[in-house]
Amino acid sequence: MLNNRNIKLVFFAIAWLLPAFTTANAQTPQSNPQQRFEQANVLFSQSKYTEAARTYQQLLDEGHTQKALFFNAGNAWYKAGKTGQAIYSYEKALQLSPNDAAIKHNLAIANQKVSGFVEELPLVFFQQWWLQLQHLHKANGWAVGTVVLFWLLIAGILVNSFLPGWKNKFLRWGNYVIGALCVLYLLMAIDTYLSSNNHQSGIVMNSNIKAKTSPDENSRDAFEIGEGMKVHIVDATAEFCKVELADGKNGWISCAYIKRL
Amino acid sequence: MKYRICIRKCIYSVLFCLGLVACASAQEFRFTTTVSNNTVTQDEPFQIQFMLENGVNVASFTPPSFKDFEVLQGPSQMQGQSIFNGKRSEYIALSYLLQAKHVGNFTIAGAQARVNGNIVKSNPVLIEVRKGNAQQQQQQAAPPSAGVPSHRGQGGEDLPEGFLKKGEDINEKLKKNIFLKVDVDKTSMYEGEQLTATYKLYTRLPTNSSVTKVPAFKGFSAKDIELPNPPQATEERVNGVPYKVFTIRKTLLFPLQSGALELDPVEVDNQVRLVKMVANKRGGANRNKDPFEDFFNDPAFKDPFFDDFFNRPEVEYQDVPYKIQSNPIKINVKPVPVDGRPISYNGAVGKFNMTAVLDKKKITTDDALTLKVTISGQGNVNLLNSPKIEVPTGFDRYDPKVTDDIEKNSNPLSGSRTFEYVLMPQEAGDHTIPAVEFSYFDPAANSFKTLRSEPFSVHIEQGKHIKQDKQDYGTGKNDLVKNETGILNWTRNHSWFIVSAWFYILLLLPLLIAAGIIFYKRKKDYNTTNAAVLKHRYANKVALKRLELAARYLKEGKDKAFYEETSRAVWGYLSSKLKIPMADLSKQLVQDKLSARSINGSNTHELFNLIDNCEVALYAPGQDDRKMQGTYEKAVTIISNLEDALKN
Repeated sequence: MLNNRNIKLVFFAIAWLLPAFTTANAQTPQSNPQQRFEQANVLFSQSKYTEAARTYQQLLDEGHTQKALFFNAGNAWYKAGKTGQAIYSYEKALQLSPNDAAIKHNLAIANQKVSGFVEELPLVFFQQWWLQLQHLHKANGWAVGTVVLFWLLIAGILVNSFLPGWKNKFLRWGNYVIGALCVLYLLMAIDTYLSSNNHQSGIVMNSNIKAKTSPDENSRDAFEIGEGMKVHIVDATAEFCKVELADGKNGWISCAYIKRL
Repeated sequence: MKYRICIRKCIYSVLFCLGLVACASAQEFRFTTTVSNNTVTQDEPFQIQFMLENGVNVASFTPPSFKDFEVLQGPSQMQGQSIFNGKRSEYIALSYLLQAKHVGNFTIAGAQARVNGNIVKSNPVLIEVRKGNAQQQQQQAAPPSAGVPSHRGQGGEDLPEGFLKKGEDINEKLKKNIFLKVDVDKTSMYEGEQLTATYKLYTRLPTNSSVTKVPAFKGFSAKDIELPNPPQATEERVNGVPYKVFTIRKTLLFPLQSGALELDPVEVDNQVRLVKMVANKRGGANRNKDPFEDFFNDPAFKDPFFDDFFNRPEVEYQDVPYKIQSNPIKINVKPVPVDGRPISYNGAVGKFNMTAVLDKKKITTDDALTLKVTISGQGNVNLLNSPKIEVPTGFDRYDPKVTDDIEKNSNPLSGSRTFEYVLMPQEAGDHTIPAVEFSYFDPAANSFKTLRSEPFSVHIEQGKHIKQDKQDYGTGKNDLVKNETGILNWTRNHSWFIVSAWFYILLLLPLLIAAGIIFYKRKKDYNTTNAAVLKHRYANKVALKRLELAARYLKEGKDKAFYEETSRAVWGYLSSKLKIPMADLSKQLVQDKLSARSINGSNTHELFNLIDNCEVALYAPGQDDRKMQGTYEKAVTIISNLEDALKN
């Protein structure tokens, strides 16, 4: 009996709290994203860069991932003097649109403020082709394409094998082509997924960080890393990350300093 | 006044004397002007003398004006008498020591005198003044000034040091009379604290000196104090002996490092002019008691002119080179204490004040702000580092412009250094520039002191001129490409289709469909190959169903009922299959219908046989079970065959 009442009470509480949570969630975005985006653009043009950057960042934190949003946030952070944040935003924008000249240009400007900046080696031509190909479709485009092609392939095979009247060599070759495309789409879909969920590189957010020779605060300093440096994380413990710079130098720094891309 | 009375007295006495001697012999009256040298250099003094000889009743004596010359000495008046070749003459002379002011030719008019009521004039003289000798001007340290020797020296000690006495060692003499000394105000101090070092040349000899090696002051920042040029000598007594002292160099030094430092020595090359006595040409004249000596010893004759004229000793000059070096001096520099050193300390030592001024309080983003920090006081002003300024975000800062205003020749070094920071506001809004902090070490108090200004608040407005970032990236290489605007597709962080269940379901679905189709097709193929078997099985089924009741009667052994039922079943089948009402059924009609359907004759024949058998068995009972079984099987076969035949 008592148990029963308790359960009822819990249900009651949940029934009360649930709408409270949902309203709280609904209240955080004050207005629709487009309005806030435009508001931030206005702040930017009024030279209120820090406020503009905060607004952009808020939108990003809510889970919007638009190239323009990252790009504008990068500009605002750069103007506000936060090089690390700016480079992080540009890198994110570049991930979404790797061949955007404007992003590359602004990122290059921001990188000039990074002390000890080392330029990464440009990609080999086939890597570039692969990257360009990867961005031919949107993130889920490849997966959808895989499904569509697979259906077509199965249909083609069925028609080819069960309808003797339809049987000809064009259909057979068509099936081969669709099959090859389907495999390619599947590979692309997997690669896109993996590469965008790969957090093995990051941007250093604090300035003048001493990279250590081992994951220990008391170990010897190996070199210094400036704010905004892009690093690759090769190894990590709970607190320390082993980072590698573009020029091959590596050392251990606290993971708290790195914002993973 | 006194002087004039004296002159008057003198004149009277002269007149009296003249009066006395007038009768004795009337001498020739002469009034002449003489100069020691007609051509002089600009800086060379010369003497002019107006001599009135044998003047009677001299009432006034006015010299001409020396407007182009400077009177260094004089007027000095002399009077006396001389007996020359038995003739006695009297004279009054007025002499001046002059120096030319300008270069050129000048005429000095003669002096005027009233003699015996007449005004007389002496002859004018022409003086040619040339430019000063270049070599003489180059004499840096010590012009030969120790003086022309005076013959009135009474003892060796008072003899000017330029004289080289007989048997005196030159080196010993030089060592004793010329030396260098370095004065420092302290030998132990803090890093950055001021040290004053003075290099001095002490001499008692006429010398032409030049500094050949100046100290480098390694480890110090040096600031020289300007010395008068040409050098001015001062007098200083060392152990009771007066020396002429020339300051070679006076430097304010600020040690830049701690530890034991050394002040380098200075080296001076001297050309010392020594005077050697040589035998007098006039032989014993000097030795013998000169009858006039007492007379010439009169102070009125203490004059170089007369010395030269009457009593100049024969001397020989000798220039002796002599190189001297000062002693190096050890300085102990302590580091500025570490304890209590403020963060903002960056090397200032002394006593300072700071003012920080921001030129504007309200500004647009088109303009620039100037933060002016002035640090003034005493200490290492020339070495001050710029105080660190915390500029908030939203400002572009440039390196400060440094201007110095250091008081010339100040000791201790004082002045001010101004740092101008130009700040370019980038963001509109209210900003606060934090207070400027400056710390210094006060060596007198042996402690650090920190000065702090007020923080500045600035209101920044958006300027009219908005920087147009160029779309063409090539030209505006350091400008950002401007923001992207426009309507975006506001989808949230998408979920990955590839990891969702739908992706796999949609991939599996066609496979399943394909599998189904294949399975169905397989079965269909199998069925088509055994079509006859299957068809017959169906017809058999129909027959068995019709004969269901008959089969039961067969089992029960009710022969009458069995035959009746079998017959009825066959007729019923034919009636329903051939669509003939039960009432119209007859063998003839059935045969017609079956033949119309092109059913072969054997089937029809067997059918009628069966019907006949059944009728016979009905009316002739007592038949055995074997026949009943045979009839049943026959009926099944016939109905099955008919069913197959009628279907096609």
